[in-house]
Amino acid sequence: MAIYLLCLSFFSVGLYGILRKRNIIKIIIGVIIAEYAVNLFFILIAYRIEGRAPIYSPNAEITNMVDALPQAVVLTSIVIGLATTVILIALAMRIFEKYGTFDITKIRDLRG
Amino acid sequence: MSSKERQTGMSVIVRTTARLTVGFILLYGIYILSHGHVSPGGGFAGGVIIALSFINLMLAYGKDTALSKLPKAVTSFFENLGALILLSIALLGFTGGYFFLNFIAKGEPFHLFSAGTIPLLNLAISLKVGAGIFAIFVAFVLLKYEPEKNKKE
Repeated sequence: MAIYLLCLSFFSVGLYGILRKRNIIKIIIGVIIAEYAVNLFFILIAYRIEGRAPIYSPNAEITNMVDALPQAVVLTSIVIGLATTVILIALAMRIFEKYGTFDITKIRDLRG
Repeated sequence: MSSKERQTGMSVIVRTTARLTVGFILLYGIYILSHGHVSPGGGFAGGVIIALSFINLMLAYGKDTALSKLPKAVTSFFENLGALILLSIALLGFTGGYFFLNFIAKGEPFHLFSAGTIPLLNLAISLKVGAGIFAIFVAFVLLKYEPEKNKKE
């Protein structure tokens, strides 16, 4: 149970970065940390005591394996996370190109 | 060092280390890719490692050297080719019945040449993923900063 709370605190670090920081790059790092905390949580709830990796290999007796479904979901989630991070960074670069700053409190030129 | 070597890229230590290790990184990616159906790994992981070898080259030697090894048009071609190979292998399954049918002989389990179409699908995915990640990195490198003036009208 304590390890889930550690995972929650890891997520809270990312949430703090998203809500409290003003630099866009730090906000993006917060998004990445929160996303990895969720991935870690999925892997943790799939773990079995003394379990081994869910890979069928020759001359290995089948004992208890860890759950393979959340691992597949997390693999997909990592790919999607890569794509969303790329989009966030591209938007940040466009914002820096237009406004010359990463500070979100100084981006207020809305006249178009 | 001469002035010609100092033009692009990072220091001599980084460049020498990159020159010695890039081949091994590429070879490791090919190993992960080709053993994807008998051990952990597969198309995505192998493709990422193959892309990382070219990204390493670009970080150490600058964008011109890496883009001369793997130009933008070739990257785009490989990315499209990966998707087309995957789709055509999946559609060839209709010759036996249904989508994604494993229509080739399966072979012995746990051998390198086994598992029918799965290594071919891994190859297609690795082409798509490797070319895609390298294209993303190239797009970030080549993006020019041209701070435009705030033009009214």
